[in-house]
Amino acid sequence: MDFLFTEEQTMLRDSVARYLDKTYDFDARQALLRSEAPYSKAAWSQFAELGVLALPFPEDVGGLGGSVIDLVPVAEVFGEHLTVEPWAFALTLAGGALAATGNHAAAHKHLADLISGASLGAFAYDEHRGIATPAQIAMTATPSGDGFALNGQKRLVFGAAEAGFMVVAARSAGQPGDTQGLVLLLVDPRAPGITMTPFRTQDGRSAAHVRFDKVSVAGADVLAKDAHDLIAKLISDAILALAAEAVGAMGALLRITGAYATTRKQFGVAIGTFQTVAHRLADMKIAHAKAYASLMYSTALAEAGRLTARDVSVLKAQVGKMGRSIAEAAVQTHGGVGMTDELSVGHYLKRVLAFEAMFGAPDFHFRKIGSSAA
Amino acid sequence: MNIEFGPELESFRQEVAAFLDTAPTPAIREAGRKTTSVFAPFEEAIAWQKILNAKGWAAPAWPKEYGGTGWSVEQRYIFAEECRRRQLPPLLPNCLQMVGPMLIDLGTEEQKRKHLPPILAGDVYWTQGYSEPNAGSDLASLQCAAVSDGDDYIINGSKIWTTLAHHANRMFMLVRTDKTGKKQEGITFLLLERTDYPGMDIRPIIGLDGFPEQCEVFFDNVRVPKSGRVGAENDGWSVAKHLLKHERGGSAASPALLHSIARIREAAKTTQSPFGGALADDAVFQRDLGELEADILSYRHFEQLAISGHPMVKDAAYPSMNKTMNSELSQRVSIMMTRVSGIETVPLQLEALSVGSNVAPLGSDFDLIAMPYYLNTRATSIYAGTNEVQRDLIARTVLAANR
Repeated sequence: MDFLFTEEQTMLRDSVARYLDKTYDFDARQALLRSEAPYSKAAWSQFAELGVLALPFPEDVGGLGGSVIDLVPVAEVFGEHLTVEPWAFALTLAGGALAATGNHAAAHKHLADLISGASLGAFAYDEHRGIATPAQIAMTATPSGDGFALNGQKRLVFGAAEAGFMVVAARSAGQPGDTQGLVLLLVDPRAPGITMTPFRTQDGRSAAHVRFDKVSVAGADVLAKDAHDLIAKLISDAILALAAEAVGAMGALLRITGAYATTRKQFGVAIGTFQTVAHRLADMKIAHAKAYASLMYSTALAEAGRLTARDVSVLKAQVGKMGRSIAEAAVQTHGGVGMTDELSVGHYLKRVLAFEAMFGAPDFHFRKIGSSAA
Repeated sequence: MNIEFGPELESFRQEVAAFLDTAPTPAIREAGRKTTSVFAPFEEAIAWQKILNAKGWAAPAWPKEYGGTGWSVEQRYIFAEECRRRQLPPLLPNCLQMVGPMLIDLGTEEQKRKHLPPILAGDVYWTQGYSEPNAGSDLASLQCAAVSDGDDYIINGSKIWTTLAHHANRMFMLVRTDKTGKKQEGITFLLLERTDYPGMDIRPIIGLDGFPEQCEVFFDNVRVPKSGRVGAENDGWSVAKHLLKHERGGSAASPALLHSIARIREAAKTTQSPFGGALADDAVFQRDLGELEADILSYRHFEQLAISGHPMVKDAAYPSMNKTMNSELSQRVSIMMTRVSGIETVPLQLEALSVGSNVAPLGSDFDLIAMPYYLNTRATSIYAGTNEVQRDLIARTVLAANR
């Protein structure tokens, strides 16, 4: 057994880290958030230049022939820097859907544009107050001509307003709860009948709620029918990538909070000398170690093609729970200054809470694990 | 990354499994089922050690030249995993995991020749004399004194939490030989070749579960030979620290924890929920069990990283994190067991718990051990350095990273 990244994977991670260290420190990120820009176009081009955007795609469409596993070490660095670029959604979900659909001319063109950094993809999945499993998808795709007509609303679609293409997960048959009857559709974000309500997320990303009113999708743009398993695979990849990002954020929180407890003095001594504070730091380190171990183990399972839905539930729930506990402990340890926008800790808190809320909260995954044996 | 153990290790696993399926006697199996603490019932643990020793497997972690297996870290983990999976009684750790490895590293040739073979064979049992009534977490403040007298030391004082001392015929201990300097610098490590020296009095302590496991040992002018000293006089603290030193991949606690989760899940199927139906189908129970199992799985992943030799094991906090995680998980498992057993935890069943007893449990085997296991498991966050001490050590590494 080994749980180490290859030299190649490590080199790419180091290149990304060097670039972000130079250009994407916390102050630069703050300036970016105060601007009108949804994310840094310069950073996005650099990610393309470094090959990050090509990583998980097959070589015949211009990718580097890797997989989501290769994104994990890079994602940790993205998490440390709290990057706001929608890489995880564009690559693992929107791009992943295109890459999985085989010979499809439009899909290949969009994928090439995604890899080159020329265009962005969005994945319209969430609905209501969140979707824990693909079977819960309710938005309808009604058969129309040789394709479908879309009606309803998708929520929290990352990068929707900036995207050159959108992949929509919808239901063409059955009821929410059925694994049957799901389709993946390629949609032009500027198609008639689409209304977007764009917003910035709590953790600094650009997203939108997207309303579909009789949006017609041609038969040629049906990427997949009977798409449940494919959607589940895409979500599993996204969870792995976003968990890596969250674990990177957790590592940063541990480091930052340890440094603060070493230098911040009250009652004439560093606050880290108080046992209550010290033990909170110890618990943060334990939580990080568990989350990190599950991330590495899950990555190795994915590489072996053995990552089950139950394994993904463990990763999602544990990283969500540990992320919250570490971030809340970090804010508490920083005291009043931890409550301010000008310190990074609160921004890390918001990033890990966004991860916790998406793709099924810990309670859902814990109950799933508890209700069935391995 | 590579998740697989590889075909050679998988065939090793089959070899181990075949032996473990046939070798233990019914009494040994019963002792495994009735083990409610880290120390299995004494007689059966020794009997099992003798069977394993005949196979050459009593000391997985010892070097081959001393009668160990010479197994790799992965092989040792697989062996431990297969033992836990069958709920076999763990071998008593004091000899095979503590005094034995310490002697291999620090003992004289004479001490090794004399002590290692009977330890391996299970012919002797060594109890550990470290703690004292006034020296627990602050072990270095120990006061039990040894005064030099020719070729002997004369010991006065007492030791406590000497595990199974009432079964022991050997004792390794820390004594104070100098009261003048730093408290760590006046401690000496001694091997006692008897536990029935004149002036030595062993009194079992009845534990919360109603059984004697720990003891108190009193020394009243006990004369012991200096040849039993390990290391130099007043250098016992470094010997003790060496003994406590964690070895890479030393822990294989997750298989037993996961085995318990499986038993809890089974027991909950036949337990009624007060809301109707089986407890196993209760939403709150499922959520809580899942939360615990997920946390055990994260710990299992942590263990797997450790046995693979991942750089995290070089972190000075690693042994303390490992101890804190597995002790607190076992406590949470024990709480979950009592939650399922409910009022069946209330009857005191000392006789049914004894190996070979003809008194049947009042309820299921699961209910029989739930409360004693819960009670004994309170100790896991107290022994081997309280979890408060462990958290101090962990926090030190977080703070030191910034100094």
